[in-house]
Amino acid sequence: MKKILLFMVLGAFLLTGAILSAEEKKAADTDYDEDTYGPEAPIVWTKPVESVVFQHKTHTMDAGLDCDSCHDDIFVMEAGAAQENEDFTMASLYEGNYCGSCHDGSTAFASDTRCTTCHIGVRGHARMIGGDSKEGGEEGHH
Amino acid sequence: MKIDELEQLESEDLSTITSTERRKFLKMGLAITGLYLGGSVLSLTTVRSAHASSGVVPEPGQYPYNPHYSMVIREKLCIDCERCKAACVETNSVPEYGFRTTILERRRALTAGEHETTFMPVLCNHCNRPPCVRVCPTTATWKDKETGIVVMNPSRCIGCKTCMTACPYNARYFKEEIRAVDKCNFCYDTRLSKGKKDTACVEACPADVRIFGNLADTESRVFKLIHAPDTMVWVLRPETGALPNVYYINA
Repeated sequence: MKKILLFMVLGAFLLTGAILSAEEKKAADTDYDEDTYGPEAPIVWTKPVESVVFQHKTHTMDAGLDCDSCHDDIFVMEAGAAQENEDFTMASLYEGNYCGSCHDGSTAFASDTRCTTCHIGVRGHARMIGGDSKEGGEEGHH
Repeated sequence: MKIDELEQLESEDLSTITSTERRKFLKMGLAITGLYLGGSVLSLTTVRSAHASSGVVPEPGQYPYNPHYSMVIREKLCIDCERCKAACVETNSVPEYGFRTTILERRRALTAGEHETTFMPVLCNHCNRPPCVRVCPTTATWKDKETGIVVMNPSRCIGCKTCMTACPYNARYFKEEIRAVDKCNFCYDTRLSKGKKDTACVEACPADVRIFGNLADTESRVFKLIHAPDTMVWVLRPETGALPNVYYINA
């Protein structure tokens, strides 16, 4: 009798756990549709400075922009292609090019504010592409 | 003196001291100790006389060196591109296991589950009261009398690493190649002594985060930045009393 009770309790725990984790996954996976919102993987520019991130999800799914809000006038479709251009600089952004088209202080936060929102840096990039950066881990504790 | 005369004299040993006398003596000792305790350990000084030492930025004209080299870091502009690190490594041949300057990272929670990242460049603070200099048993590191830079003489270093432990800023590392401790010296040997006006990290910074200069010169940019009105200036670990010369601002 005791054994059965134990199994029942254990089973109940496992079942709720499984259901909860499945629900979480579902919410993350199924809501995001790459055809509607663009590639899920973040775009990382490493030129002219390391490293700047762009998330389609933040701009399309969360902020409600369409593909043709940016493509192909502001950015070409090819991921990360903009960094090959000479004028892909902060100065250019302040003149309203690239991200600066919206990040001007009225449509979205101005591109000369909140630097680290997009500039994730060498550390942020290393973390994104797998594990903590080697030096990042070491520097913390000498 | 004759022996029998000596025997007549009153004894001066402890047995003749009465307990009242002993108590008096002890009380006197306690009173003196108490006086000093009250004055310095418990800091029972008036607020008025204490205010002068509360700020981290010295009063103009009270910089002990000239040039008084210092660095101002405009923290919120740092984007961790680490060009400063690369420039430092190249200029001062820093091995990959150590650093003279590096970038630390902090995360602060905002509303709605968002986070804000702050990058914090760190380097030797060239303290006015450097704990590393105090502990070095071979005087291999000292504060340069002219510039205030905390310099190293590697050939005098025995590698005991006591300075590394003493440094509140973790700004020293042991360089295997020279079997000595190495640290930032504001590029003194590699740049300043060759006539250049700034350090390698300052030159490399694309965001104008690091500003280097002479604090004793009231016309210098570093002086103007940390003495500007409406500016919050802070230093790292002020409680150590080391009086660092690297200042942080967000302006």
